[in-house]
Amino acid sequence: MTAWTRRGFLQGMLVGGGALALAACGGGGQAMRIEHADKTGDLVANLYITVLATGRVALIVNKAEIGQGVSTGYATLVAEELGVPVEHIDIHYADSNQEMRTSATMQITGGSTSTAEAFVPLRQAAASAREMLIAAAAQQWKVPAKECVAANGHVEHRDQKLAYGELTKHAARLDVPEKPRLKSPKEFTVVGKVDRRVDLRGKIDGSAKFGIDVQVPNMVNAFAIHGPTFGAKPIKVDGTRAKQRPGVIDVLAFDWGVAIVADKFWQARAAAADVAVTWDKGTLNGLDTAKLQTAMRMHDKGGLVSRDHGDANKAIEHAEHKIEAIYEAPYLAHATMEPQNATVHVTGDKAEVWAPTQSPTLAQAFVANAIGIDFGDVTVHVTLSGGGFGRRAMADVIGHAAQISQRVKRPVKLVWTRESDMTQAWYRPVYAAKVVGGVRDGKISGARMRVLSQSIALSAGDWFGAILSSLPRSVIDMISGAALAIFSSNSFGDPFSTEGIQNSPYRFGNFQLASEPVQTKLPVASWRSVGNSVTGFIMESFVDELAIAAKQDPFALRRTILPANSRQTRVLDALEKLSGWATPPPKGIGRGVARHQAFDTEVAQVAEVELVNNRIRVKKVYCVVDCGIAVNPDVIRAQMEGGIIFGLSAALDQEITLVDGVVQQRNFDTFPLLRMYEAPEIIVEILPSENKPTGVGEPGLPPIAPAVANAVFQLTGKRLRRMPLQRAWNERGAS
Amino acid sequence: MKLVVNGKPFEVAVPPETPLLWALREEVGLTGTKFGCGIAQCGACTVHVDGKPKRSCVTSCGDVGELPITTIEGLATEAALHPVQQAWLEENVPQCGYCQAGQIMTTVVLLKAKPQPTDEDIDAALSANLCRCGTYPRIRKAVHRAAELLAKPVAAGGSK
Repeated sequence: MTAWTRRGFLQGMLVGGGALALAACGGGGQAMRIEHADKTGDLVANLYITVLATGRVALIVNKAEIGQGVSTGYATLVAEELGVPVEHIDIHYADSNQEMRTSATMQITGGSTSTAEAFVPLRQAAASAREMLIAAAAQQWKVPAKECVAANGHVEHRDQKLAYGELTKHAARLDVPEKPRLKSPKEFTVVGKVDRRVDLRGKIDGSAKFGIDVQVPNMVNAFAIHGPTFGAKPIKVDGTRAKQRPGVIDVLAFDWGVAIVADKFWQARAAAADVAVTWDKGTLNGLDTAKLQTAMRMHDKGGLVSRDHGDANKAIEHAEHKIEAIYEAPYLAHATMEPQNATVHVTGDKAEVWAPTQSPTLAQAFVANAIGIDFGDVTVHVTLSGGGFGRRAMADVIGHAAQISQRVKRPVKLVWTRESDMTQAWYRPVYAAKVVGGVRDGKISGARMRVLSQSIALSAGDWFGAILSSLPRSVIDMISGAALAIFSSNSFGDPFSTEGIQNSPYRFGNFQLASEPVQTKLPVASWRSVGNSVTGFIMESFVDELAIAAKQDPFALRRTILPANSRQTRVLDALEKLSGWATPPPKGIGRGVARHQAFDTEVAQVAEVELVNNRIRVKKVYCVVDCGIAVNPDVIRAQMEGGIIFGLSAALDQEITLVDGVVQQRNFDTFPLLRMYEAPEIIVEILPSENKPTGVGEPGLPPIAPAVANAVFQLTGKRLRRMPLQRAWNERGAS
Repeated sequence: MKLVVNGKPFEVAVPPETPLLWALREEVGLTGTKFGCGIAQCGACTVHVDGKPKRSCVTSCGDVGELPITTIEGLATEAALHPVQQAWLEENVPQCGYCQAGQIMTTVVLLKAKPQPTDEDIDAALSANLCRCGTYPRIRKAVHRAAELLAKPVAAGGSK
């Protein structure tokens, strides 16, 4: 929250606003505001909001629209406080600009933070603009401002009425209110009511511009060839024949592979067959995931204890029933539908970027590092993203495009193939967790968990080292404060690997959590819900096992270890009712329940599962979510649906495996996504709340895998402890 | 060679083996048709060739010749969105939106063959189109809604 700058409200710097093309104008302040209003008639109320003379509102969104609905959410918050219909707001995505930083002193979209972060400051920005418009009208009418009302794009006083567009020039001359009045949630008339997304039109008529659609003058296109093993470097490149093909401009070798540059992408793509490359062995020293996972299963040392209550060892020792299990999860690719791409124009020691990125700040850093220029000399224009899920916080492809542009001295659009996107990626970390629990007198007596996973924080240290050095000092301090330094001090454990267990609301009485990083040279990164994507599976499968050992209903057992009358129990109560849990399922259907809190949002789900010719089919999912005030209920429902389906693809089928340093999955034929015929019916209930909103982009995901595994157990008596679950089911005799 | 796209002829200087996808995107200048996988696995590149859904990433320009091509940009008329597009708005289908052109193009053909599709019909037709955001439940609803809109010829379509 504090990252949103106060200066942003007061100064009203003009930033590049896409089609609006507001010229960048440093300094800011009232003089600029007046000059701009006199020239254009528009009121640049602050960094985020410009009220145009036409009455329309330009809203600069400092987040990336990756499908999660942030533009709709932000437009809703602004409409609420500014008093304009949502349809009057035009969305522009902020360029790289430290004044528009969001989380962690960066501009970054991740951690399901956007709505929570904006809820107060963005409404303040809108309220500030509203009060300036009201003050202008009040002065014109010579009436007290507090007698005026702003609504529907007008200021009114009794029978007098002025449109916002008629007040902009006057308002620009007034002081920015120090403390604009915000509505209390009880006064909301727009929040919770807007259910039509603001970004739909271009997405249904083909006019929406994603990164891959960028066109800039004099642009050329690049096709990347990557080596067979991960991170392979080209040793010898013969591009002679390719360069004779029409349109081909150059064939260039880099550390990461070979770029064919041509007038058109189809020309570069076709020329790839005519490039002969000899590769080195890559960066992974023959990494083999089957061996890695076996080693992780066998590994049996302590790890760093980060949570320790009571005496877990003693409690387990004295238990009637002892449960010991290993839960496992593989590497995963993000597999955004829009493959990684970027357009970059390097001129001298400056670079201009147009890219689908979740972090303009990290894009600046990657580019600066890739071509050896200053961070501040990189300007990033953010396009729509065809999915993000964490992948687009990593700007490797943007750095590569910059290197190509630097060599050819023209703007370059680099588009990766699906195969490059999948085999040269940053992956969700691999996990193995050993859990031991005890049950005595029908109650959980204690539990112990030890989580082994590849560490995102350490991976960042390995891979980011040089890149981080390109960031301004303030940004480095924050990033390293958030991850690297904390981790290397070894006092908190790896915050990503144990999130969801470290902060679990369960009260086991006797509980111990330890974790240990397992490092490989395969880079890992945040993947929708990050550590929660696995820790939810571990914890909720384990709790189900304990419930069965304790001969308790899984809802009832959970209530015994959750704080009474908490949001967790309220969500469970609602889910029990919604899913009709009291009525046993029909024959052939298994039901499982799971809950998880991620990014301050509580979600619980019941999955109904059947087996069709040994295929796990999820027929129906009931989902209850408490995410505080529901800003856009239908966007929340969509994110729950999306989290469940994204999570089901991973739970059932997906894995990235490597043999001798080669990623085995290259496209959607071997890294399957759930398809329409297997998509379950999903019923979502949003709990009413007056608490401040929390995120919804990720928290819908963690409960689905354990809900399905628990349902499979109920149906078959077989406990699946390894994702992907379909493979675990197929190999169930063997384990 | 000549391509006929959305009712207009375009002269494109590509060898006949060039995938239609890239000719549409780079030579005709219509970028609504998307590149997703390049091997006919995801359906993001679906267009109509002579009224049939085709994966333009694996369809060569030479094979299409002068057969009529329709892309997402050619669905709406001056006056109104196509009823399938209208249904997509009403059901708030898109999230990231990248796959939706392909989903819509596939649906348009489905509804010509089966004006009142069952859920099984929808499964059969649309399981060829991937969506990473997980909009399938909404797509299903929107296909049924589009069938309703198409059944009411006068009311069909929304304002542009």
